[in-house]
Amino acid sequence: MIFDATVDGRPARVEVRSASGLYTVLVDGRPLRVAVFPTARHFTTLLIDGRCHDAGVLRQGANHAVALRDGTFEVTLEAAARGAMAPHRKAATGPAKVRAPMPGKILRVVAAAGQEVRAGECLVVMEAMKMENEIRSPRDGRIKDVFVKEGQAVESGALLILVE
Amino acid sequence: MTRTGPARHFKKILIANRGEIAVRIVRACREMDITPVAVFSEADAAALHVRLADEAYAIGNAPSRDSYLNVERVLAAVRASGAEAVHPGYGFLAENAAFAKACADAGLVFIGPRSETIALMGEKTSARRLAVEAGVPVVPGTMAALSDGATLRREAERIGFPVMLKAAAGGGGKGMRLVATPGELDPAAERARGEARSAFGDDRVYLEKAMIRPRHVEIQVMADAYGGAVHLFERECSIQRRHQKVIEESPSPAVTPELRERMGALALALVKRAGYLNAGTLEFLVDADRNPYFLEMNTRLQVEHPVTEMVTGVDLVKLQIRVAQGERLPFAQGDVRQSGHAIECRVYAEDPDNSFLPSPGIIHALRVPGGPGIRDDSGVYEGATVSIHYDPLVSKLVAHGADRDEALRRMRRAVAEYNVLGIKTTLPFFGRVLRHPAFVSGDYDTSFIETAFRDAPDTTERPWDVALAAAALHAHRERQKAVHAAESGSGGGSSWRASTWRSSGGRWP
Repeated sequence: MIFDATVDGRPARVEVRSASGLYTVLVDGRPLRVAVFPTARHFTTLLIDGRCHDAGVLRQGANHAVALRDGTFEVTLEAAARGAMAPHRKAATGPAKVRAPMPGKILRVVAAAGQEVRAGECLVVMEAMKMENEIRSPRDGRIKDVFVKEGQAVESGALLILVE
Repeated sequence: MTRTGPARHFKKILIANRGEIAVRIVRACREMDITPVAVFSEADAAALHVRLADEAYAIGNAPSRDSYLNVERVLAAVRASGAEAVHPGYGFLAENAAFAKACADAGLVFIGPRSETIALMGEKTSARRLAVEAGVPVVPGTMAALSDGATLRREAERIGFPVMLKAAAGGGGKGMRLVATPGELDPAAERARGEARSAFGDDRVYLEKAMIRPRHVEIQVMADAYGGAVHLFERECSIQRRHQKVIEESPSPAVTPELRERMGALALALVKRAGYLNAGTLEFLVDADRNPYFLEMNTRLQVEHPVTEMVTGVDLVKLQIRVAQGERLPFAQGDVRQSGHAIECRVYAEDPDNSFLPSPGIIHALRVPGGPGIRDDSGVYEGATVSIHYDPLVSKLVAHGADRDEALRRMRRAVAEYNVLGIKTTLPFFGRVLRHPAFVSGDYDTSFIETAFRDAPDTTERPWDVALAAAALHAHRERQKAVHAAESGSGGGSSWRASTWRSSGGRWP
């Protein structure tokens, strides 16, 4: 199988080939020879060129949380066709959707439509888990739309603001 | 007053809390042959503290005000259980003087200070006045709580910016704001008062001069009902985000033997002055010239109490219970020593890469570290849900070593061993902090988190290829399994797993 992947936001092309119970994984053409031993639920031991890696993988849609000894990695996978690498996704240039990271109540809407904002600037203040949480702009841009009002209860993942 | 044995021995204690601290108290009860009784909200029926207790009583809906903060419901559970004493843990009703009084009025023992002391220390400005009377230096600021904007502005100008705005009824960083310029005062006060109102039901605030890059050092104290009082040295709590501690250690790298002795003496002076009973903590700011200034007293067990337990060998929760039973402190000041070094990391369900926003959800996989010098005070288990309704503290990871270097190395190892899948946690962030030169040297202050990583994005080479391979293999094998299941119609056999060695010809990479 071939995937267009990202790891911690870095793009890569990954191909998995299996033969004789072993795997060859090509990461941007670099071959890794891998033996896979399932251990606990969600966990496998990967033996790669004499090094062992205790790897936990939890898939949520296209996102995979991968826990290694060095920390947790965010990996996205999309099945790809053999051949040229898909053009890099446009996520970095289209409007940025600012979503509620958890369920809660909108306490204040700081940003207004049409306003210029800087990356890191507070857009919305949400109350969740007993704290006031500032939801910040992911990048420089202009507020295209505001979808919430003060006092409104929102679910996790609800679209709050569009920054273009 | 010459009695030395226990006045009584509790048979049953109700724990008016949840999460890791309720689990901690259950364990103390077990070791003392006391029956632990849990209470739980609708959201917590499957929580770890309920699983571990002997008896459990439902006390209401998920929101805290309907359950863990509801004095009537908690007291009804105490009556139903026949418990003689209540341990409030920290947070919720732990510093609620009315609850402590209601317990006493009902003939129950509240495991903590007297209700009058809680009220006195809980109102932060009266605590400041008492400290001044006891000869304890305080941070310059207002000595009374304020509720109107004009007075607030006038007092802020008098003290001089930057000022720290705090909730008079406060604690735990809630309702606290740093105000650098006069223009920020009004919006900050509005935010702080809103938070204080929802957290404490009291929106009065007070002002303190904001100190530049102070260290946050606190002294643990313990007092019995016969005038006996000891301090159990300091905890360094300068690693904070949003004015809430995330890493604590003892001893403090900034505290000299002379300063330790001085702060201990100041703490005991205030304890005596207040007629304090049971466990408490005095928080101080320490400036660059090592001058301590009293901030506030927390009249309860502290979240970070394990670091003190690890270096003194004193079980603070059991000692709280013994003191509440009417026993004398079993040791004097000269008998307690700091042995080695302990560090605690608070594992929060938060996303450290996204402003530490809460990350509730199901814990799909949980691997807890072990080995020499490691202690994990957890409130969860694999399969548990971190609820949106409560504080996102999942666990407290503590490392003890013969010295700071060994404790630090053990903590790094333990953080690497710790694996949580399903929610984001502060663990990866701890990995970075524990390697940061300022933390390693011990030369850090309360501005550490805000400044240490601001201009230096993490560029460490990480095993991205391995992570990619793990995810891609997972996807590939899930697909193979589905294909295999469809072909055999058996719901997915595992013969292909076991045959790896043979089919690879006895060679592994």
